[in-house]
Amino acid sequence: MKGHFGQFGGRYVPEMLIPALEELEKVYEEARKDKAFQKEFRYLLKTFSGRPTPLTFAKNLTQKLRGAKIYLKNEGLNHTGAHKITHCIGQALLARRMGKTRLIAETGAGQHGLATATVAAKLGFSCTVYMGEVDIARQRPNVFLIEQLGATVIPVKFGNKTLKDAVNAAIKDWIENVKNTHYLLGSIVGPHPYPTINRDFQSVVGREVKQQIKKEEGKLPDYIIACVGGGSNAMGVFDAFLKEKSVKLIGVEAGGKGSKTGENATRFPNGSVGVVEGYKSYFLQDSDGQIQKTHSISAGLDYAGIGPQFAHLKETGRVRFESVTDKEVLEAFKTLAKTEGIIPALESAHAVAYAIQLAPKLKKSEIIVVNISGRGDKDLFIVAKALKDKNFLAFLKEYIKTYE
Amino acid sequence: MNKLTLMAHLVVGYLSLEKTISIVKAMEKAGADFVELQIPFSDPLADGPTIMRACENSLANGTKVKDAFAVAQKLSKEVAIPLLFMAYYNTVFKYGVEKFCRDAKKAGITGLIVPDMSIEEESCEHFLQFCKKYSLHNIQVVSPSSTNERLKKNAKVANGFVYVTARQGVTGARAQLDKNLISFLKRVRQYFAIPIAVGFGISKKEHLKVLKGHADIAIVGSAIIDVINRSKGSKIEENISNFIRELKKPVAAV
Repeated sequence: MKGHFGQFGGRYVPEMLIPALEELEKVYEEARKDKAFQKEFRYLLKTFSGRPTPLTFAKNLTQKLRGAKIYLKNEGLNHTGAHKITHCIGQALLARRMGKTRLIAETGAGQHGLATATVAAKLGFSCTVYMGEVDIARQRPNVFLIEQLGATVIPVKFGNKTLKDAVNAAIKDWIENVKNTHYLLGSIVGPHPYPTINRDFQSVVGREVKQQIKKEEGKLPDYIIACVGGGSNAMGVFDAFLKEKSVKLIGVEAGGKGSKTGENATRFPNGSVGVVEGYKSYFLQDSDGQIQKTHSISAGLDYAGIGPQFAHLKETGRVRFESVTDKEVLEAFKTLAKTEGIIPALESAHAVAYAIQLAPKLKKSEIIVVNISGRGDKDLFIVAKALKDKNFLAFLKEYIKTYE
Repeated sequence: MNKLTLMAHLVVGYLSLEKTISIVKAMEKAGADFVELQIPFSDPLADGPTIMRACENSLANGTKVKDAFAVAQKLSKEVAIPLLFMAYYNTVFKYGVEKFCRDAKKAGITGLIVPDMSIEEESCEHFLQFCKKYSLHNIQVVSPSSTNERLKKNAKVANGFVYVTARQGVTGARAQLDKNLISFLKRVRQYFAIPIAVGFGISKKEHLKVLKGHADIAIVGSAIIDVINRSKGSKIEENISNFIRELKKPVAAV
């Protein structure tokens, strides 16, 4: 059935959103087949976002780990610093096609909000971004940048005050303002057609990897590793390989502080099937179906749900899920910076951390591609604090004085 | 002219399970014709701040889904007016759709309002099927953005009454009714042969006055929670009674 991935996905929303979702689905179907639309999308990806992003051989890391060859797909070199801008450009073009004048978005780490505010500025939309209070407190630099781009950031004070609550708030805004507003949902979650639309837009990542690795190695990789919050970067890099059975696909979840409830965001194995925020998938929830608190050092992975297609791919066994802890993530962050000269986003550092565990167990002839979904600039404050950098603290203290 | 009746809404376990029971009894005495018991959910998609906070409070008090069934069981023995459950679909799904319907019926519930269970998903979920099996009214919700085609589709499966949202938005008391409401209700009437219930933003007797003749049931939710929030603990039942009597004044005479 349309919009379903096995038993997952669907469109579980109040009647008042159905017409807007039907319109979006219809317009997307038209746009998909429209050469002019595809041409403009590709043009903006190339000239505005800077695609294609490079696939870099991680020579030093490979030598250090003495196992499989590691390649890094550097999505962090996209404009605004992460893969998110790709589906933002795509959806903004759809919004324009539908005659909408306003974009709204939810954001966790701020990357999707930043990318939405950016395309809103570029393509002439007004823009409102919903962000949990907890996330605002840890991602102020992105909040500041979003505001510089002319968008309004609205703090969400309900629930856990993180990503899922921002999604709820954005949906409510959409319900009220559906006539002129497009909800630019930022992952492969939510009601149909969002998981499909965002996957299709993001699938350019995997297609690029396929070409690039064939050119470098003359063959496909053995493993592709990506972090999974909602799942947009992972689905983007996996999609072109779903049918290539020799390529093992690994999603890395946020193991957080540990295995206790509320201290991580590992939907596998701790989640169960539910229907929340308009879609059926795995969620971290209690036996009554109340969504549980989650934690991750990276705001972008701090989410109780997971894209419905991933729930399906987990059940069919096509994608394997692993998790790494906050501590392992920080180590991986440092390692990648020092060995490869690439500072990854904390989200992406999850994928790196798992690759570091996996590579030494593999043969030297095997190839791993790690999706670096974003760069780490946005995490400057979090990482400096986590690493207990005394000089950075001293700098902050001094800087505040000059501010006052 | 049709009589306009009143459905009063309450979040189960706000402020406590005991309070829910005593408030519902007071609602009946004051003249409420139906009571909608909302089972609290962590992510209530269609609710505005007032009901969201009430849900959060109830969950923080430790309200479980089984408590809602126990409250309904007790109330259905003690009040004569119909009791309905409002729940988000995850609550029903996690409980088990058939079990939920069966237990709701057993607890004396007459109808279910599950706004995010869209009819397109029926072939996967069998929600309407189990409502039917256990003789529960499945209350369909439509809104001003519903196209005629959507109204027709919902009318085909709706029974009991149809829940019409008075505006495009989330729940919450409003000072003014949408100026297009009456023409929207006329459009709804063309498709639905069953009674029309209007909710979202209904908060004062003037609103009921406007609805009279165009709708059969007025639904008041957030405004009642606002009364609770304004009241001292011991005065809640009395204040709600007065509020409901006041609401019904202009429509009481047939």
